[in-house]
Amino acid sequence: MSKRLSILLLTAPSMIVLLGVFLIPMLLMLLLSFQDDTQAFSLQNYLLFIQDPFYLEILWRTIRISLWTVLCTLLLGFPVAMFMAQASGRMRGVVTMLILAPHLISVVIRNFGWVVVLGEKGWINETLLKLGLIDQPLRLMYNELGVVIGLTDSFIAYMVLAIATSLYAIDPSLSKAASILGASRVRTFFTVTLPLSLPGIIAGTTLVFSLSMSAFVTPALMGGTSVKVMPVIAYEQIMSTLNWPLGAALAFLLLGSTILLVTLYTRLIETKRYKEVFAS
Amino acid sequence: MSKVIDVELRNIMKKFQNNVVVRDFNLQVEQGEFVSFLGPSGCGKTTTLNMIAGFLDPDEGELLIKGRRMNGVPPYKRELGMVFQTYSLFPHMTVAENVAYGLKLRKVGKAEMQERVKRVLELVKLPHVADRYPKQLSGGQRQRIAIARALVIEPSLLLLDEPLSNLDAKLREELRDELKRLHQEIGVTTIFVTHDQEEALSLSDRIVVLNHGRVEQIGTPEEIYNRPASEFVHTFIGKTNRLEGVVLAQDGEGLTVKTAGGLIVRAARQQRAFAPGERVAVFVRPEKIRLADGAAADEVNHASGQLMIASFLGAFTECEVKAGGHPLSVKVQMDGQGMPLTPGRAVNCRWESEDVLVMPVERG
Amino acid sequence: MKKLNGYGLITFFVLLLVNLPFLVIIPSSFTSAGYLSFPPEGFSWQWYAKILDRPEFIESFWFSLQLAAITAVLATLIGTLAAFALSKYRFRGSGVINSLLLSPLTVPSLIIGIAALLFFTRIGIAGTFTGLLLAHTLISIPYVVRLVLTGLSTFDYTLEKAGYMLGARPLRVFWDVTLPLLRPAIVSGMIFSFLTSFDNVTVSLFLVAPDTTTLPLAIFTYMQETLDPLVASISAVVILLSLVFIVLLEKVYGLERLFGLNSQSH
Repeated sequence: MSKRLSILLLTAPSMIVLLGVFLIPMLLMLLLSFQDDTQAFSLQNYLLFIQDPFYLEILWRTIRISLWTVLCTLLLGFPVAMFMAQASGRMRGVVTMLILAPHLISVVIRNFGWVVVLGEKGWINETLLKLGLIDQPLRLMYNELGVVIGLTDSFIAYMVLAIATSLYAIDPSLSKAASILGASRVRTFFTVTLPLSLPGIIAGTTLVFSLSMSAFVTPALMGGTSVKVMPVIAYEQIMSTLNWPLGAALAFLLLGSTILLVTLYTRLIETKRYKEVFAS
Repeated sequence: MSKVIDVELRNIMKKFQNNVVVRDFNLQVEQGEFVSFLGPSGCGKTTTLNMIAGFLDPDEGELLIKGRRMNGVPPYKRELGMVFQTYSLFPHMTVAENVAYGLKLRKVGKAEMQERVKRVLELVKLPHVADRYPKQLSGGQRQRIAIARALVIEPSLLLLDEPLSNLDAKLREELRDELKRLHQEIGVTTIFVTHDQEEALSLSDRIVVLNHGRVEQIGTPEEIYNRPASEFVHTFIGKTNRLEGVVLAQDGEGLTVKTAGGLIVRAARQQRAFAPGERVAVFVRPEKIRLADGAAADEVNHASGQLMIASFLGAFTECEVKAGGHPLSVKVQMDGQGMPLTPGRAVNCRWESEDVLVMPVERG
Repeated sequence: MKKLNGYGLITFFVLLLVNLPFLVIIPSSFTSAGYLSFPPEGFSWQWYAKILDRPEFIESFWFSLQLAAITAVLATLIGTLAAFALSKYRFRGSGVINSLLLSPLTVPSLIIGIAALLFFTRIGIAGTFTGLLLAHTLISIPYVVRLVLTGLSTFDYTLEKAGYMLGARPLRVFWDVTLPLLRPAIVSGMIFSFLTSFDNVTVSLFLVAPDTTTLPLAIFTYMQETLDPLVASISAVVILLSLVFIVLLEKVYGLERLFGLNSQSH
């Protein structure tokens, strides 16, 4: 059998699936997003978005929630990654297992768990009421706070892994070298460990941001009807209003703004020096 | 007794894209012979071995094994044995299963298979590891099992692809002796690829020295060592001192050369003739130079100078002498009667004209 | 010289946080009360018994299992073949094919779901099992490709050479040598595909028919209307099932390795 035939036979099934379920549908969706009610080419769906403050407000809310999620996962995730980098092999394995295993269980179920904790009759409110610390249940979900908590839970594993990977790659003798030269532990952290973990931080933050921007289930379950984000309104346009062109346009606007923001962010942070240091 | 030719390479040429990596390779390997391909990395030795094994096809020329033309025959139809540098034992099979694999493919009966596996494991002196997995063996043991796996199918030809390179120095020597014993015992025709001249010298009946895809010399270890066909062969095999100079005179008994540093070197008769005035390079091996006390008069095959460095290496001491503008490397046997080798002292170097090799200097 | 420093404390807190959902769901599924509460009141199996009264959950459970199983087999087969082509041969366009195969990971599932809905409606397979299966296969293929490619990247091809030299034909070498050594990577790809399909909501959302839905989607829909301990008991069942697969995955491949790959892609 010739090499060319082998390659063709081996890759054909995957390419057919990719083409028929991904590439052609995406192209169709893109074309559809440029159609008006009469199926003629038009920019009206995109113009509507820019002109209507309702949609811009939703985009801004989506970005805001994603940024909070990035912040929370970074602040909570970095220490975990540090702990993993310093831990022995066995401890590291246990932590990895405990942080990753939940990730393989459906987000719907994890969100439901948070409802049990944060809900009006949830664990936190019941406890606080019983202790007499509050008179009325706190509103911990069905608002942006609930969504950020849910998303942080969902995506912290990505942040931890990205940072841990870059921390593992740091030569342990570097911090020894710094201390021999007289740097304190805090100083060593800020001048050696943190700068060298930048690739992990960048990878983690961009990944968590992108995932948060397009998250649908958690905003729907933890935000309820009051917290509308881009994925939710795109879903509504497609499945409830049945305005497919607008729904498609909203989805692409979400994708486009995510890519734009991520690009701006990496451009800003990946300086010339960064590129020289971390060039592969 | 007529010779039986097991392997024959006729004008083999191989290129990758437009890069010729092996050219004009002609060789006949006799039955039972142990032949080494020796050369630096990139010299074409592994490529040639891969052509014999069947992983590559020559672009030109013919390959014959046992008189059969092998061009285009896939490796699994060649009935050869091969041992790889990285052992390449199947990690998911036990030692016995690894060794039996080739027999299983040849549909050998169960009883015979067990018997042959047992016998070959005894041959490599590892009968007790049959039920272990390769991971549980040391590097040396793994390579012995790899040899057993190759031998058990009774191949017409055994190919060894740098089988000792991944072992540490002591094990390497042990396994080298083991290879020699095995070859003497079973006498299988063997082609051995190595970049280590010591291995090649100690194991081979004949050595093929390769450089840049070209055969530099084919000969017995003695021929290769004592009568190198080219400067490359001489310098690749063992350490040497190289002094450039000009031929002063040539006569029936040899020739006289004056080196750039002003030394007068007398050489015994060479394989080729030189004309007076010709530019040449003169070679003397470090172990052929003897050191004596003090300065000597300027005479033939003498150089007086200063001892710069002396490195004690156990059986001998390696010295660097600066003599007449040339740095000379000298190997001194430590037999207790020698003079103290204190750096800085004046010494006198002396060698015999029989130990001098002269090669023309190629002008680019 | 073990001391629990600040990192350790935060790590403990984070581990508690990410596992909290399960720690509260399972106890609250055993409540004897008629409403959702934590800590649960009393102990009873009543909410497990009530699952049996809801045929839609039982049906969607079987539906999800079947879908996930077939997806796993299909994605593993297709993905493994592609990975072999990419690893074994060097050819023009292999880089493009590689990034194409991984691209479904970089596009939000929401968009994959919408696009599939639009196209499947045109060709008439929207709301069918086939449509759902194809979409789930698409999002599982990248994981299989990456796992098998990683397996192949550490695969020592001289082992295949050794097989040929001993007289084994190419197919035989593949069967006796290559496949057994890649089994961990392939099996993990299969388990991971299974879980990807079994857990999916966002893609399924657009592609299910009203009467045949997947389990996570059924829970999702139910949760938007009612929050009672029934969700807890169903979730507990799913958690248990997923745990079996997670332990399997850890045994076969190791989660650390599995996710080590995960974070590198983006």
